[in-house]
Amino acid sequence: MRGKPVRALAALTAIVLASAGLAGCGAKQEAGGGGETKKEPYRIGVVVSLTGTYAGLGTPEKQAMEMERDRINAEGGVNGHPIELIFEDDATDPAKAAAAATKLIDQDGVIAIIGATGTAQTMAMRSEIQRAGVPQVSMAGGSVITDQFDPLVFQTPWPNRVVVPFVLKAIAKKGYTKIALISDTGGFGKDGHDIIVKEAPAAGITIVADETFNPGDTDVSSQLTKIRAANPDAVLMWNAGKEAALVAKGMKQLGMKQPLFGGHGNARKEFIEGAGDAAEGFVFAAGKILIPEAYGTGTEAYKVATDFIESFNAKYGKAPDTFAGHAHDALMIVVDALRRVEGEVTPAKLRDAIEQTKGLVGVGGTFTFSSTDHNGLSESDIVLYRVENGAWVLDER
Amino acid sequence: MRRRLNEAIVFVAGVAMLAVPAVVTDRYVLKVLTFVGLNTIVVIGLALLFGYAGQVSLGHAAFFGIGAYTSARLVMSFGLPWVLSVVGAAVVAALAGWAVAVPGLRLRGHYLAMATLGFNEIMSVAFVEARPVTGGNDGLGGVPFPSFGSFELKTPSALFVLVWAVALLVWLAARNIVRSRPGRAMRALHCTEPGALASGVDVAAVKVRVFALSAGLAGLAGALFAHSVGFISPSSFGLDLSVLLVAAVVLGGRESLSGPIVAMAVLTLLQYLGALLPGLPRQAAEAIQDWVPDIVGATLIAVLIARARGGAPVRAKEALGRGAR
Amino acid sequence: MTSADVLQFVASGLQNGAIYALVALGFTLVFASTGIINFAQGEFYMLGGMLVAAGVAAGVPLGVSVAGAVVITSAVGCLIERAVLRPVRSAGPLALIIITIGCSMLLKSWIRHLFGPDERAVPPFSGSEPVALAGALIQPQVLWVLGITVVAAAGLTVLYRWTRLGLAMRACSISHDAARIVGIDTARVVMLSFGLSGALGALAGAVVAPITQTAYDVGARMGLKGFAAAVLGGLGDPVGAIVGGLVLGLLESGAVAVVSGTYKDAVALVVLLLVLVLRPQGIIGRHLGEKL
Repeated sequence: MRGKPVRALAALTAIVLASAGLAGCGAKQEAGGGGETKKEPYRIGVVVSLTGTYAGLGTPEKQAMEMERDRINAEGGVNGHPIELIFEDDATDPAKAAAAATKLIDQDGVIAIIGATGTAQTMAMRSEIQRAGVPQVSMAGGSVITDQFDPLVFQTPWPNRVVVPFVLKAIAKKGYTKIALISDTGGFGKDGHDIIVKEAPAAGITIVADETFNPGDTDVSSQLTKIRAANPDAVLMWNAGKEAALVAKGMKQLGMKQPLFGGHGNARKEFIEGAGDAAEGFVFAAGKILIPEAYGTGTEAYKVATDFIESFNAKYGKAPDTFAGHAHDALMIVVDALRRVEGEVTPAKLRDAIEQTKGLVGVGGTFTFSSTDHNGLSESDIVLYRVENGAWVLDER
Repeated sequence: MRRRLNEAIVFVAGVAMLAVPAVVTDRYVLKVLTFVGLNTIVVIGLALLFGYAGQVSLGHAAFFGIGAYTSARLVMSFGLPWVLSVVGAAVVAALAGWAVAVPGLRLRGHYLAMATLGFNEIMSVAFVEARPVTGGNDGLGGVPFPSFGSFELKTPSALFVLVWAVALLVWLAARNIVRSRPGRAMRALHCTEPGALASGVDVAAVKVRVFALSAGLAGLAGALFAHSVGFISPSSFGLDLSVLLVAAVVLGGRESLSGPIVAMAVLTLLQYLGALLPGLPRQAAEAIQDWVPDIVGATLIAVLIARARGGAPVRAKEALGRGAR
Repeated sequence: MTSADVLQFVASGLQNGAIYALVALGFTLVFASTGIINFAQGEFYMLGGMLVAAGVAAGVPLGVSVAGAVVITSAVGCLIERAVLRPVRSAGPLALIIITIGCSMLLKSWIRHLFGPDERAVPPFSGSEPVALAGALIQPQVLWVLGITVVAAAGLTVLYRWTRLGLAMRACSISHDAARIVGIDTARVVMLSFGLSGALGALAGAVVAPITQTAYDVGARMGLKGFAAAVLGGLGDPVGAIVGGLVLGLLESGAVAVVSGTYKDAVALVVLLLVLVLRPQGIIGRHLGEKL
């Protein structure tokens, strides 16, 4: 009995030392694969959530980037250098995301980091990003990412502060002034909620009911009952998850005839599948990737978007969702900047090149960064959709 | 004589641990090992509470979070020196533990597990909703590094040494506790409460004190976590962590400190396996990351089965414990 | 607030409560026969929904899919007991509980490997046009939820009261040793209780999936709710599980009505903690003595 703690301690020390030593050796190993090209590959780190809550977002993001990487490398890479992507799963845990950033920077020596999938995970990496001076392109939608401005951090999704005013204007234009708001208590829902409350008066809209639900809830009819009692002209929901279908079905169940509006968090085919006929008539704002015709056929944006959709479909047997689109754009932004860097690529030069991105056509919109705008998208990149016969159509009414 | 030799080995091993940064310079590895050190502090507290006193808690991640937010706020909003803020965090977490333990006196077994689990869930909601304090879902960034006066500990090796030094002190303190009168009282009440009562142990007081101490240690670790990662958000303090901690104590065995520590170290390191294994092709590392939950789950099952089959002493001890109740 | 609104809150509470009750029954069955909490119970619920979704997607008729999901999950329950729990029964309840945690991690992860991380839809069993019930409007699927809960509860009552197996189960819940002495095959009873709890969990997951959709990660949350309901009612008592489930569901919908959706779960948990402090053995539960 007495010897046991000592043995255990020795074992622990051994484990720790061994793993430290092992990882130390592992750190310096050369990356395999892609040895055809003569030039050194450009190493880009990617932090995505492949397990945990955001697995459903991170998985298509990874797929989109793998597909684009293969395409770019097959076309001869960037300035003759192949692209090497090093994926790290943060398991939807901010502390793991921060550690992953350290690994990518120190062990792998990446020149840029794409990620993370979630807002908190993105923010958790910031101190590492700042320490190493490596540019970061996030695929998370939280406004805080670019509101708390950092010269090194860029963002590809449409932020709520762009989408919300667009949706509110659309609602007002359709003649609805009294709306009920229902949002989730997750990061995306809360962020949107606060911006909606702030922006509504400017659009001439009064919020007559303000209800919330938690991600993972299995019923929202109590919240909708309260909304029904407030008798709004329209209902606006702001969330990103499967509970959206509960809202649509719940309104139908309660006999609520009010039109339902939403944001880019609902631009998922799973919503239509889940809500069935209750999704009919649902109007939401999102980027033009859902129906590339919105760009106008013949435009470059149309071609970029349809190419992406077709190759994604061909490779994975399903249409890409908006998250895949954000990932495509993040990689494209980095690659585009790499092409413009003169001389040897350093993280600092790459950052400057990313900031100089101008009129870059992605699937989520046309990106133009500046020293004050690191999101680069505007209202002209989003459009209104309506669900009709179980599919998205452009809402031009 | 034997005892003294053991103490010496412990001391040497502890010092060896503190010397790791002299050998390992990789920042990532040091960070992961710092996480191991932080979890060590929490699991020592839980081992005292659960392994020795037999009181289950599925709420330790919440105390960990309370410590993290308290310390971050004390430094960032009230400008307290770092040392005071960490002490403050431990005290606040201990008070929270006390507040849970007093009504919890009426509960035992699975009911106490449910109550502490409920506390964890309630705190998770609080962490998300108390946005002026916690920053909500977006998290709280820019938590300053630990500092003594104007001297800041900001390199991973310095943070590693700090965390492991604290862990070592906590371990030594815990060893003293379990060998002394309070430790005997804890074990007594684990075996048989009426018996402990009959032998003059103030069962209620011991339960509440050990719960508060355990929560305080979790809070201490949380404070160190906040200052070494620099960013905290509610998802780091969820039920998953609480469950993993309890699993580590069970895996490590009853009435042991080192067992749970080793178990928690293994469970923590497994989560970084893909990045820690050397010479692994990238594809394999990615595949391992994808299978981390499977690896952790399978480890729990395999270790417990192997121990039950092979470890006769453990089985006898547990059976004894069961019989006594 | 009109009376129709109040009825609507009650309907919503009963709908969720019925699901919690089914999951809680699973917890309680296993607890009664073994004294352990099965942390994989939530994953049985997840399996039920995901297997039905997978079956329907593969073109299997809905009814067959549901039956298949229940049978498969029940088999998974038996398998867990037989393959990983029985060999180490001597290790004590705590080790067994941790093993069920390991099992739940594996089940959840395997389903993600198999079917991916996205949520999946299941068509309603019978139409989607809302029906009026005593002034509250509900989806037809809710009738299925309530109906299946009632049938399951009635079935269990019959099983417990009037069958030899039920008698054996009740005997096991009092004392394994005594049960063995009177000739009961306790190992079989324990395995069957796992199988039955798997079936109940899967049934809950399958019947609610048309309302909520389902995904690989819905189990943990429902496991938490089911455990809460079982404890609230009193562990080990089937009536307690049903009462606990319904009370928890009503509490939550009441919390939405009076406070807000944000604090729904917290309010329900606070009430649960208060109940526990006042009645440490749950609403219905007797003092069973220590099992842990």
